[in-house]
Amino acid sequence: MTDVHVPSDVSAETFPEDAVPGLPRNASPKPEVPQANWGWFRWAWRQLTSMRTALILLFLLALGAIPGSLLPQEGTDPASVQNYFTAHQTLAPWLNHLGLFNVYAAPWFAAIYLLLFASLVGCVVPRTFRLAGTARTPPPRAPRNLSRLPNSSSYRVALPPDQAITVAAAFLGGKRFRLRKPAEGDKSSWISAEKGYLREAGNLLFHLSLLGVLCSIAVGGLFGYKADKLMVEGQSFSDTVTSLDEFHPGRLVSGSDLAPFSITLNKFTANYYTSGDSRGEPSSFDASIDYSPSPGAPAKPYDLRINQPLSVDSAKVYLIGHGYAPVFTVTDARGKVVYDEATPFVPQNTGTLLSDGVVKVAGASPTQLGFMGVFVPSPIDVGGVLQSYFPSANDPVVSLIAYAGNLGMNSGIPQSVYQLDTTAMTQLTAKPFALAIGQSETLPGGQGKITFDGYKQWVSLAVTYDPGQLPALVCAILALAGLLLSFLVRRRRVFVRSVPSGDGAVVTIGGLARTDASGGFEDEFAELVTELRAAHGESAPDIPPGETASRAPGENDTETGA
Amino acid sequence: MPPRLIKKKRRAAVSLAAVAAVLLAGGLTMAFSRGGGLPAGETYVDGNPQAVLYAPGHRAQVPEFSGRTLTGSPLSFATYRGRVVVLNFWGSWCPPCRSEGPTLAALSSKYSHAKVSFLGVDVEDTPVNAEAFEQGFGISYPSLNDPGQAVAQVISSVVPITATPTTLVIDPTGRVAGAIFGTATYSVLNEMISKVAA
Repeated sequence: MTDVHVPSDVSAETFPEDAVPGLPRNASPKPEVPQANWGWFRWAWRQLTSMRTALILLFLLALGAIPGSLLPQEGTDPASVQNYFTAHQTLAPWLNHLGLFNVYAAPWFAAIYLLLFASLVGCVVPRTFRLAGTARTPPPRAPRNLSRLPNSSSYRVALPPDQAITVAAAFLGGKRFRLRKPAEGDKSSWISAEKGYLREAGNLLFHLSLLGVLCSIAVGGLFGYKADKLMVEGQSFSDTVTSLDEFHPGRLVSGSDLAPFSITLNKFTANYYTSGDSRGEPSSFDASIDYSPSPGAPAKPYDLRINQPLSVDSAKVYLIGHGYAPVFTVTDARGKVVYDEATPFVPQNTGTLLSDGVVKVAGASPTQLGFMGVFVPSPIDVGGVLQSYFPSANDPVVSLIAYAGNLGMNSGIPQSVYQLDTTAMTQLTAKPFALAIGQSETLPGGQGKITFDGYKQWVSLAVTYDPGQLPALVCAILALAGLLLSFLVRRRRVFVRSVPSGDGAVVTIGGLARTDASGGFEDEFAELVTELRAAHGESAPDIPPGETASRAPGENDTETGA
Repeated sequence: MPPRLIKKKRRAAVSLAAVAAVLLAGGLTMAFSRGGGLPAGETYVDGNPQAVLYAPGHRAQVPEFSGRTLTGSPLSFATYRGRVVVLNFWGSWCPPCRSEGPTLAALSSKYSHAKVSFLGVDVEDTPVNAEAFEQGFGISYPSLNDPGQAVAQVISSVVPITATPTTLVIDPTGRVAGAIFGTATYSVLNEMISKVAA
């Protein structure tokens, strides 16, 4: 039997060039002493690119994203932000100063991720070069005293030392070990073999993929865009900058980069639970649309639902919201119809869809008219106050307050379509008046008439294009694969030395596994020794470890050489 | 390790870091700054960066488009060939469009006898609201009814229509000779039309 000697006093320090994988070299706890200007810069750079800083920044990024999910965000839901402002009048301005309603665009958030990006790039790029170097390095020279390695074994063979080494080299080469032989002129008989370079390759893959993920995110940020569009049933929408309500382009995106699709909303259906604990909560949303991928192309029907976005022209269209758009007809003082439009109202209560809105009749002559109102989908009188008991529309009612005067629109200063500037207007009706579908209200002073003709529903769509999404996914998978490789594959070295002994030679085999976390190298080594012995065609007895150690074979070991 | 080697390695690390920092800073600067000088063949009217004149040879051909006017009659852009066309994107809901309404009304009557035609594209609007707008400002030239912005989408392939209002001055060969991205003022649009029609 082969004796495998495993002393405990030998550590991996035989291979001083081995760094512990997973820890960057510059994560040394010893702080650099800053010297000149360059020294300060270097010190700062080292601090920034240390793994510790990267982890802290990553943690800060996660921490900073929390308000983004707890508070309503301008980018995704501006209506909720407005509601939050009305509900928390003292707190909201403070939160706004801190950018907490637009976290992902806040300067402090940008600072965190830019620093994190710099830190990761500064950490990963040098490591990538180093790993590429390590993956190419040949195994080191065989140490002189192989019996001091964690695994070693020794036996006698009938072959001369050179031949014994040749046989060992052929055997290890056949086992797909990378070999290193003595340099020309070196008379000693040894061979170094190393296996498990896939570990370095995995580590390299992990780091390269990590860079790939960063680049993909950058590509997404530079070339992608996010946009919102509110559209009423029966309306069409073309994906152009002017028809989008909100457009957040990437840094290198211009309006002509938008995918030239168009969408027509035919009908929107929302179903709600009518009984049980979740009464009033939505059970399904379905927006029936026709879309055409480019101008002039034939339109195709599609059912847009939550979690069932439309993929068109590499952009994705998501259904993100809905509401009611009451249809009004307004006649001005001259008796002319000057307004006929389905006007989107914004839900102030998502449970009952009680919605707020304004009607701006800029074309009314001689005086412009404005209305502030509430749309009540399912009206119920609660102590003289109109409330909605259910989100779907059952005999809906609008309650309006009329104003006459200057809407402030002709001065050219842009204003919100959801707000009425009443500073230059006078209120026509002391109390709000309620209208059911088909009812009209004649305004006092012969100012005209408003009719509530009915209602349509609107949906809000989010259009997103992120060219970095797929590359980021691929890179993330590759990074994981690389990480697994570097965890599962171990780098192990086997050395064989042979010194003349009598007619034959004494062959000593030493083995060392670097980071043998998963164990099992001892078994592999024992098997290798058995097979190598068979290859040497010997069944001579083992040499006890102690004996081998006392006759340590080596280049200058003349005693055993004699 | 000999001290010289350490020094060498450190110097290498520092220069690598410096190169990385410069690349990063450069990339960020590039990413966060847009545009630069004016492209060849383009001049500003009155130094206004929102009013651009394109020299002949630098004018983009406007793709064909057609539709129905607010009054329901069919209209094709192709029939305007041979005339200077002032193409204005507007909506009755849009305050800047309301502020430039008098300008368009005045200039369209000033150039009514020359080889200049005015054409509106009414976006995201209803015919009733649009008619009240036109009557209010005394605008008599036709407008295409384009609630879904199909025309803007077609034209965006050659000129970025990034805001409502946008006004294009198109030469008799159907190429974009001038563009006002935003509110048109009387002096700027007048200068543009007279230069293109000259």
